[in-house]
Amino acid sequence: MGRRRRRVDRGAAVGALPEAIAALSRTLPAGPSPEIFRRAKFDRPEAAPALWQLLFRVLSPLSADGASASPAQEAQVRAVKSELRSQGYPRRALAQLPEDGSQGSRELLLALAWLLARGPLLERLLAQTRVRLGDEIPLCECEALARPGPPVPRVEADGPVDIRHLQWLMGKLRFQWRKLITSQQEQCALLGKIHSYTRGCHSDRSLGHLSVAETELLRDAEGGQQLLRRLESENVCLEAALRWRRQELVFWRWMDTVLGTCPPEASQPTFVPRIPERGAGEWELVARELQALQEELRGAAEPRRAAWEARVGGWGPEWSAVQRASREAVGLELAALQRAWERGGAAAQPHGPCRLVKSDAGASGGPGLRAAQVIEVLRSREACLEAVLCQLQRQCRQELARLAGALPGLIWILPPGR
Amino acid sequence: MLPADCSRRLVAELRDALDACAERQRQLERSLRVSRRLLRTWEPAETPAPQPTPAPETSGEAPSPESTPSSQDLKELELLTQALEKAVRVRKGISKTGERHKALSLKSGSAATSATTASAPSRPSGQASCRVSETKPPRGIQQTVVPARGLPESRLLSVGDHTRMGRGSRATKPGPGPRDQQIPPSAALQAPEAFTLKEKGADVDCWLPQPLWKPCSGLEGGSPQSAASLSTGFPDRILLRLPMAYRKAASRNSRLWAQLSSAQTSDSMDAAATAKTQFLQKMQMTSGGPGSGLSAAAVEAEVGLLRTACLLLRRRMEEVLSADPADCMQEYRCLLTLEGLQAITEQCLHRLQELRAVGGQQLGPWPVGRRPGASLPCGGGTDPLWSPQLLLYSSTQELQTLEALRLRLAMLDQQIHLEKVLMAELLPLVGTQGPHWLALCRAVHSLLCEGGERFLTVLRDEPAD
Repeated sequence: MGRRRRRVDRGAAVGALPEAIAALSRTLPAGPSPEIFRRAKFDRPEAAPALWQLLFRVLSPLSADGASASPAQEAQVRAVKSELRSQGYPRRALAQLPEDGSQGSRELLLALAWLLARGPLLERLLAQTRVRLGDEIPLCECEALARPGPPVPRVEADGPVDIRHLQWLMGKLRFQWRKLITSQQEQCALLGKIHSYTRGCHSDRSLGHLSVAETELLRDAEGGQQLLRRLESENVCLEAALRWRRQELVFWRWMDTVLGTCPPEASQPTFVPRIPERGAGEWELVARELQALQEELRGAAEPRRAAWEARVGGWGPEWSAVQRASREAVGLELAALQRAWERGGAAAQPHGPCRLVKSDAGASGGPGLRAAQVIEVLRSREACLEAVLCQLQRQCRQELARLAGALPGLIWILPPGR
Repeated sequence: MLPADCSRRLVAELRDALDACAERQRQLERSLRVSRRLLRTWEPAETPAPQPTPAPETSGEAPSPESTPSSQDLKELELLTQALEKAVRVRKGISKTGERHKALSLKSGSAATSATTASAPSRPSGQASCRVSETKPPRGIQQTVVPARGLPESRLLSVGDHTRMGRGSRATKPGPGPRDQQIPPSAALQAPEAFTLKEKGADVDCWLPQPLWKPCSGLEGGSPQSAASLSTGFPDRILLRLPMAYRKAASRNSRLWAQLSSAQTSDSMDAAATAKTQFLQKMQMTSGGPGSGLSAAAVEAEVGLLRTACLLLRRRMEEVLSADPADCMQEYRCLLTLEGLQAITEQCLHRLQELRAVGGQQLGPWPVGRRPGASLPCGGGTDPLWSPQLLLYSSTQELQTLEALRLRLAMLDQQIHLEKVLMAELLPLVGTQGPHWLALCRAVHSLLCEGGERFLTVLRDEPAD
């Protein structure tokens, strides 16, 4: 009796694994079949190309259209290796795999599992390719910055250029921004019109009006069918992701066995430094800023401390209690400040894309952000950035004045102020 | 002339900035094309040739009639509009039952108010409406007369039903209305009409005749189509409805997303989470790679955090320095704050040194095409919302302000980054005096201190002999 039950359990477990893997690969872009996974466990070479492609699709940031032609096998392999290395993949065996993509399926399987274990990879991938039904506006630029645009083929100017070329490029940039802003204003006006014309047409009362995508759906039936198909396929992926969630424990147990079949790597005591591909940059800038800040703080705090000590020198013991209270209060404030950047400050700011909904000014208390509040937040951020820019320019001015002052016999007439 | 490597770097940075701007412009142009097309008249999918003048492109506001409607028609239209308003007011008072009725009366109420406001310009709107309907002059009179007889209601049948009515057809017959509303087949179009999105209340014209008269089974709630359509508080404008298939898919989509983001905490999740951490640990142990555990990406992320820290510390310092202490207590607190900030800055510097020791060679200038923002980066690590939340705006001006601010922030970000890069590259050049030093100095000043917009003048001060 017990044996039969055990067999039944094992049977159920055996069936659960392919299901789980099938759910996983349904969720992933270019997901291979469970058979590939099984072969990868035994390091079969025929499973390698599919896994290379899968890793490439997972790791490479999506281009805006999502339809870029996938590069050659070697390029894919190199890209996957470099991305995994930069994310800190611990196993060196991956770096040693040949570039023609013919081997190493077990290693690739381990890499995939490593990526899955580290963070919400599936959700992130799905969110990237999410079908956007509403008119969305990203509130913070982090997504736009994290995803580089399509590489533009460029003729590099290798020789020395005149500084006037730089001035010309700056002017061009300024002009492009101005054009961008006017186009954006026009788009907002059109959006406003579309939203108000379609008021009352949406079945969802909280939205109240159609978005551009939905109106386009009505106008163009074929495009609407496409949208519907994309939506439905996304629903299928989402359901697969939920199935995967329920069943992933089986997968992790299996991955333990896969890891067990790998021979352990010889640990290398010496740290082999990576060949630097790029020069010093960001680190230097941050270091310089922090040092400058430290100087300024020291310059501000020391005289004050001296003045204070001179004043307070003779004060009595009742003062010390007050001092202690102040110290605690300031300590709390500064700790909160420190938390703000250590945590990333995400809670303080609205994050992520928002769907635009036009509603009357009186609608309050419902879910969602109010544009007025967001405008306030953005204005304060704008003031902050403008202050930073002004301060940098002031610094430059001082520095240049110092350098120019070395040459006597010249009068520098500054341009009229704003 | 600038040295070659410096030029290369600077030109690459500026070109990057231009590319980023151009990318935004491209995306914006795409959206603009779509939006403009939506606000023009929607041409049906197959535009048969025999149709005379296609409906003119317009946003529906500026009337420019190709053929002047007769004053008789206009008068009828005006009377009709007034009658409708009155009817809606009456019906609003009567029909209060049912959520659907309430919803409709809300719409009709708002439609009524907009109708009242539109009654003043009803003449131009009447003209506009006549113009749209007069793309088929022989039927124009028909179209303006038929509404006079009844109530142009409507609901367009969902596009999903369009297969029944022929491809591309968007016209449906208004359901309610007296049964004798049927258009005489001779006047019925064989081809679908063009359609224009219009403002509410002014579109008695946005009523599309159709060859088949369909009782509106697709109506929400399936209310009976009695002749007393007024009792349901109809809206006197077109209501476009999304196809049922789409609505189902969209609601399922949002439900699934909600499930996915809420499925973070459950028993099976905990077991899976422990399994995952165990797997990661085992992997770390059996591997021979660098054991420090700090990848290049993590180092970069921490450096980014320290940059944020610098910004926040500086901001707080400026707040403290600009505040005028009123009494001893506040002075003391200012002092303590400054010293505390100093301590934190030193900690950050220390951490930065550590990061350099760990992965210094892995850091570098921003890889081409990717640039972290100089402003506060949001913590992407915390729980992001996978499906978008709503942002409510009340007027176009508000939306424009919002978008303008967003762009301004992005522009400032870029400017600050360029400023730093230019400072790092150009100031050393000014320090070493070479040929054309004055011209270089002047150009650098304008680039760095005035954003390239203004120039200073240099005068040679010759002593008068």
